[in-house]
Amino acid sequence: MGELANQIVQGVLVGGLYAMYAMGLSLSVGVMRFVNIAHGDLIVLFSFLILALIHATGIGALPATLMTLPIAFVGGYFLQRFLLQRVLGQGVLPIILVTFGLSIIIQNGLLGTFGADTRRVSGGGFETATLRIGGGINIGVLPLTIFIVAILMVLALDWLLYRTRLGARIRAVSDDPATANLVGLPSARVYATAMGIVGVTIAISAGFMSIWTNFDPTAGPSRLLIAFEAVVLGGLGSLWGTLVGGIILGVAQALGAQIDVSWQLLAGHIVFLVIFLARPEGLFPKY
Amino acid sequence: MQHPNRLWIVYLARAALFAAAVVMAVAPMLLATRDIAILTEFLSLLTIAIMWNLLAGYADIVSVGQHAFVGVGAYALFGFAAIAHVDPYLAIPLSALVALVVALPVMVIIFRLRTAYLAVGSWVVAETIMLAAGKLSAFGGGSGISLPVSVVRGFGSRVTERYATIYWIAFAVAALALVATWLLMRSRIGLGLTAMRDNEEGAGVVGVNLIGLRVLCFLWTAPFLGLAGAVITLQKLRVSPPASFSIIDWTVYVIFIVVIGGIGSFEGPIIGTVVFFLIREYLSEIGVWHFIILGVLSIAVVLIEPRGLWGLVRRLLPADVIPISRRRRVRR
Amino acid sequence: MDALLDITDLSVSYGPFHALGPVSLTVGAGEIVSIIGANGAGKSSLMKAIVGQAGRSEGKIVFEGEDITARTTAQIARAGIALVPEGRRLFPSLTVEENLRIGWEVGRQGAFGFDEIYALFPALAERRTLHVRHLSGGQQQMVALGRGLLANPKLLLCDEISLGLAPVVIADLYRIIPEIRDRGIGIVIVEQDITRSLAVADRFYCLLEGRVNLSGRPTNTNRDEVARHYFGM
Repeated sequence: MGELANQIVQGVLVGGLYAMYAMGLSLSVGVMRFVNIAHGDLIVLFSFLILALIHATGIGALPATLMTLPIAFVGGYFLQRFLLQRVLGQGVLPIILVTFGLSIIIQNGLLGTFGADTRRVSGGGFETATLRIGGGINIGVLPLTIFIVAILMVLALDWLLYRTRLGARIRAVSDDPATANLVGLPSARVYATAMGIVGVTIAISAGFMSIWTNFDPTAGPSRLLIAFEAVVLGGLGSLWGTLVGGIILGVAQALGAQIDVSWQLLAGHIVFLVIFLARPEGLFPKY
Repeated sequence: MQHPNRLWIVYLARAALFAAAVVMAVAPMLLATRDIAILTEFLSLLTIAIMWNLLAGYADIVSVGQHAFVGVGAYALFGFAAIAHVDPYLAIPLSALVALVVALPVMVIIFRLRTAYLAVGSWVVAETIMLAAGKLSAFGGGSGISLPVSVVRGFGSRVTERYATIYWIAFAVAALALVATWLLMRSRIGLGLTAMRDNEEGAGVVGVNLIGLRVLCFLWTAPFLGLAGAVITLQKLRVSPPASFSIIDWTVYVIFIVVIGGIGSFEGPIIGTVVFFLIREYLSEIGVWHFIILGVLSIAVVLIEPRGLWGLVRRLLPADVIPISRRRRVRR
Repeated sequence: MDALLDITDLSVSYGPFHALGPVSLTVGAGEIVSIIGANGAGKSSLMKAIVGQAGRSEGKIVFEGEDITARTTAQIARAGIALVPEGRRLFPSLTVEENLRIGWEVGRQGAFGFDEIYALFPALAERRTLHVRHLSGGQQQMVALGRGLLANPKLLLCDEISLGLAPVVIADLYRIIPEIRDRGIGIVIVEQDITRSLAVADRFYCLLEGRVNLSGRPTNTNRDEVARHYFGM
C-alpha cells in the first residue's frame, strides 16, 4: 500500500516535468493554432546548449540555464518571425512540413555535433537529495522543485496572458489576426513575441530535464508526444488543464512501470487514448 | 498558347515512363542481385509515397503515423505465414486485410482531432501500436524474430530465385498501388479530391462530401501500406518493433520524397522516390548530413515552390505526364 | 485645400473577378462622405483597399500627402486611419475595456480617451469588465466604434455599422457621427440604408458595378436621381 502511494506521488512529480514540456506547446496551440513538430527537439537542443555551456565555462546547471533564457526568447522570436510566419495561414500542411523538417535538421545536427551518446547534466548533488515523509513515501528534492516551478510557470503564464497588456494583445491576435492588423496591432510581431515566450518555457524545461533524465539527440519526439498528450488531455489552450494532463500521464506511466518496466510508456499512451476517446475536447476545454 | 511546341516532351516522358515500367517488369533477368534488392526497396517506398501523397496532398490528412500500417502488415505476414502456417503467398493479401481492419479503430481516434493536430495524434497512435507489438511474445517481443527458413524457402530455394520472386511481388504491389490510385483519381471521386486539394471550403460548398472522401482515402491507403510492410518483411526476413515500425524509413523518408518530388500531383512521388534513391546512393556516406540536406531541401520547397520538383517542371509543360483529368486530348 | 484622403484610379480584383474601379475620390478633414451602392457595387472592396486588406489592388491612395498604397494594414492604422469593420469583428476573448484598450494603446494621442468614450456610450461604462460576447449587438457596435475612436484617427471608416441593429440603436449611433466630424475627423460611411446615410453626409459617391456613376452633395441632389443611379437605370 505504501509502495503504491509512493509510486503515485512519484508519478505526480514526473507530471510536473511533463507539464513543463507541454506548457510552451499549449501556448503555441492556443495562440498560433499549430503544433510545432520540432517542439521536443528544441527542448533537447537547449539541453545540449546547457551542457555545452557548462563544459565550456565550468558554471553550474542553474546559471547555465538562466543564460540560455534570453537566447531562447530571441531564438523563438526569430524562428516565428522569419520562418513560421511565412507559412502561417496557408492551411495545415506547410506549417507541419516546415516544423517537421526543422525537427529532422535539429536531431541530425545534434548527432553530428555531439554524437549519439546519452548525456546527463550534473546538478551538483542537488538531484540526489531526498525528503522522507514516512509511510514509505520519499520525495526527491529535484522532482519537488520541478513540480513547484511548473506550478509557478502556470501562474506566471496565466498572469501574463490575462493580467497584462501584452497578454491582451496576444489574445486579440489569437482571436483574429486580420482585425488586429486593422486596429494597428502588427500580428506578426505579436506572434513572434508569443513564440519567444514559448522559447523561454522550452529553455526552462530543458534545464530541468537535463539534470533529471538522460537525453540524446533523438530524445525530442518522445518529449513532443508527451507534451502533445498533456495538451490534448487538458483541453487545448488551457494551462491548468495542461498541468493536470501532465500529472495524469506521469501517474499512468508510474503505475504501468509497476507491472513491468516495459509497460511504462505504453501505459501512458493507452491512458491518453482512452481518456481522449471519452472526452475528445479534453478535461478543461476553453472554447 | 503558352507552350506551343512542348507537347513532344510530354509524349517523350510518357514513352520513357512506359519503357521504365517494361524494363522494371523484367529487371531480375537483367540485373545483379544487389541491384534487384535496391529496386525492391525502391518499389516499396514508391508504394508508401503514393499513399502518403494521396492523404496529405489531396485529402488534407497530414499523418505522421502511417508507418503503423507498414508495421501491421509486416507483423500480419509473420503471423499468418510463420505462426498460423498459412500459405505464404496467401499471407500477403491477408496482411493487407489486417491493415485495413486496424485502420478502422485508428481512424475513429485520429479523425476526432482537428487537422492541425492530427499529425501528432497519428504519431501517438503509431507509437502505441509499435509498443503493443513489442508485447507479443509469439513475435519475439521487443527484440523481434526472424522468418522461419521454411517460409523463406516458399519463395525460392536459391537466393537469386528468391530475390527475383520478392522483386516481382514488390513490382506487382507497386503497380497495383499506382494503377488503382490512378483510376481512383480519374473517377468522380478523384474529381472531388482535386477540388478539395485546390480549395477545401469551395469543394465543401459545391457539395463534395469532405468527410466521406477523407474516410475513403484513409481506408484506401491502409491495405497498400500493409502490402508494402509484407514485402519489406519478405526482403528483410525478420520483424521487430523498431525496424518494422520504423518512423525514419516509412514516414520521414516518405515525407521528404513526396514533398521534394511534388505533393498533390501524381508524378511527384515517382520523381521524389527516384531523387531520394540517387541522394541515398551518393550521399549516405556523409551520414547525418544527408538528413540535414533533405530537411533543408524540404523546407526550401515549402517556402519557394510548394508543388516541388514536379511543380517546377510542370510549369514548362503543357500537360501532365500522367493525366488524371478525363480530357483525352490536350488543347490549348 | 488638400484632401485628407485622395484616391486615384483605384481598382481591386480577386483572381479573375473584378470587384472595383477604377475609381477616384477624395475625403476632406471634418467631412462626412457617404458611399452608397447596391450589393456587389464594390463598397466593401473600396474600404478594404484603403486599409490594405484587399486581394490585389492597383492605383494610388494618398493620405495626408503621403502615398500609403504599399503600406501594411498595421502601418496604415498607425498613420491615422481607423476602420470600423462590417460585422464589428471584436476580439471575443477580451473584455470590453481590453478591446477598447487595444485601440487606444496602438493609436495616437488625441481628443478621445476612455472617459470620452464612456461618456458617449454609458452602457459600456457599466459593462467594462464583461467579455464582449455577453453584450447585445448594439453594445458590440459601440465597442467597435469606441475602439476605432480611441485610436484618435484622422479618418474614420464605418462599414455597415447599422447592420442587424434595432432602429433606436441606429438612431443613437447616427446622432454621434456628426459630433465626431465636428472634431475635425474625416468620416466615410458605407451603408445599405441610403436615407440614413445621406441624412448625415456632407457629400456622397454612388457606386455601380465598381465605378462612381454619381457624386455630389445630398442637399443639391434629387432623391429620384440618386435612386436611378443606385439601381443603374
